[in-house]
Amino acid sequence: MSEQNSITSVQTGATMVKEMERPASSRKVPKLPYLRLLTPTSSRETLILGVIGAFLFFLLWEAAHYATDEESRRFLPSPQHVVATLITLIVERNFLSDVLISAYRIFASFFAACLVAVPLGIFMGCFSRMRALINPTISGARYLPAASFIPLLLVWFGPTDTQKLALLFLGVIFFLVALILDNTESVQKELIEAAMTMGASRWEIVVNVVGRAAAPAIMDSMRNMIAVGYTYLVIAEIVAAQDGIGAVMMRAGRFLKVDVIMAGILAIGILGVLTDILFRLVAHFLFPWNRRRKQ
Amino acid sequence: MNQAESGNRTKSPVIDVRKVTREYLAGTFTAVSDVSFEVQEGQVTALVGPSGCGKTTVLRMIAGLEPPTDGEIVVYGNSVHGPGPERGMIFQAYTSFPWLTALKNVEYGMKILKVPPVERRKRAMQLLEEVRLSPAAHQYPAELSGGMKQRVAIARTLAQNPRVLLMDEPFGALDAQVRWEMQEMMIEIFQAENKTVVLVTHDIQEAIYLADRIIFFTRNPGRIKQDIILDFKAGRRFRKKEELLEQDGYIRAEQQLFAWMREEIQN
Repeated sequence: MSEQNSITSVQTGATMVKEMERPASSRKVPKLPYLRLLTPTSSRETLILGVIGAFLFFLLWEAAHYATDEESRRFLPSPQHVVATLITLIVERNFLSDVLISAYRIFASFFAACLVAVPLGIFMGCFSRMRALINPTISGARYLPAASFIPLLLVWFGPTDTQKLALLFLGVIFFLVALILDNTESVQKELIEAAMTMGASRWEIVVNVVGRAAAPAIMDSMRNMIAVGYTYLVIAEIVAAQDGIGAVMMRAGRFLKVDVIMAGILAIGILGVLTDILFRLVAHFLFPWNRRRKQ
Repeated sequence: MNQAESGNRTKSPVIDVRKVTREYLAGTFTAVSDVSFEVQEGQVTALVGPSGCGKTTVLRMIAGLEPPTDGEIVVYGNSVHGPGPERGMIFQAYTSFPWLTALKNVEYGMKILKVPPVERRKRAMQLLEEVRLSPAAHQYPAELSGGMKQRVAIARTLAQNPRVLLMDEPFGALDAQVRWEMQEMMIEIFQAENKTVVLVTHDIQEAIYLADRIIFFTRNPGRIKQDIILDFKAGRRFRKKEELLEQDGYIRAEQQLFAWMREEIQN
């Protein structure tokens, strides 16, 4: 053993010096502490960093506002001006009812989409022949832009609420089915086999094994897809709409009221964040078993 | 070996595997070729062999999770055409349902069999006791270790009181110490429940410890190479693993199995 050591030290006399230096260098502050791989961030730090990030964004916005020359400054109002406009809209112009109408449109259309997509996705995910029959048609439909349905929907439903709900529905349904199909197929095969060897019936397995196993992932897909629903909101409310956040923004656009447009964007943003939190909370209480999964 | 055969001649076998062949990929790959064997009531049989010898396929066919391409499997006089609760299966992968607590998992199989709730709860608690999991009854699988998850799965399967217990590398994913604990626990369960067991394993020591009989498979295609009764155990089951190691004949059995395994690997 000692003989071997002496041989290596002779052979690597030059590298030995370097090796003695190494511990000293590792004591130094590591380079780029904010770009460390495989290093989790504590929940407290996550919160602080999140706030700093948002603050930086508003600071940049503020800076951009003041960097703009005075004549065109009203086309880029400052953040506090936009917030003030939002408050004025709510207090003086009953903007809240528009927000509620938009929220209703999002949630009603999304609920309808889930009513179709969840059973259909699970059904196709469980039975490969049903998938072969249905999926090519549905996944092809994902490439159709939802906005291209507007003329058709106007002919069918007129400038009604139904037309807007239908557009929002079409905007998410095909992607939602594809995602839920994927969530269903990701269910561990052995869970199904275990249920089969216990004598569970086909529908018991579809609903109470596959359905429940895939539920948290499906909830995540829903949370992500309702965000996509929001992106169609303004498109739905631009055409033939008198109410809703999008309609208010379009009217403001005609009078170049940039502060109102931005207040509308802000309102959609706030609504979106609240929706996201709502979905997370529901998932938290619906799936206590999934809160902290070790494996 | 003769003794075992003559002793059971009057009884019909619990599991009768008759000239079973299993092909994949439209007949271009034969996983199992012309395999026949019988398993008697209360016997613990280990299917052993190198990877890819079709031992798991045979077990899955007995479970009814895969159909044989040719031949027939008869369990308690009925031809197998799909899975059923009289043939309980324990998998290598953790199959305890993550959305149910340990207790609810154990109750699940009984719920399928429409056991009344009060009786269900009572038997589930009893089984959790048997697999030493009572303190974790109300925990979810995510909060349990690998060995504990597997104990949930074992208790859940036993709760249905299956006549045949099929185990597919049940402790393959566990570390050595936990595996050893689980093996000793299985011996206790075999004693208490008197099940007919078919166990697939590649762990030679595990096979000798748990089984009364070992069927050794050869691969490409999967066939039976040897079928031996572990005579040296004389039907005894040892609570402690080290007691097995003391037995005359243990070393010889292990040597024999290693020699077969080597033959297979080098072919």
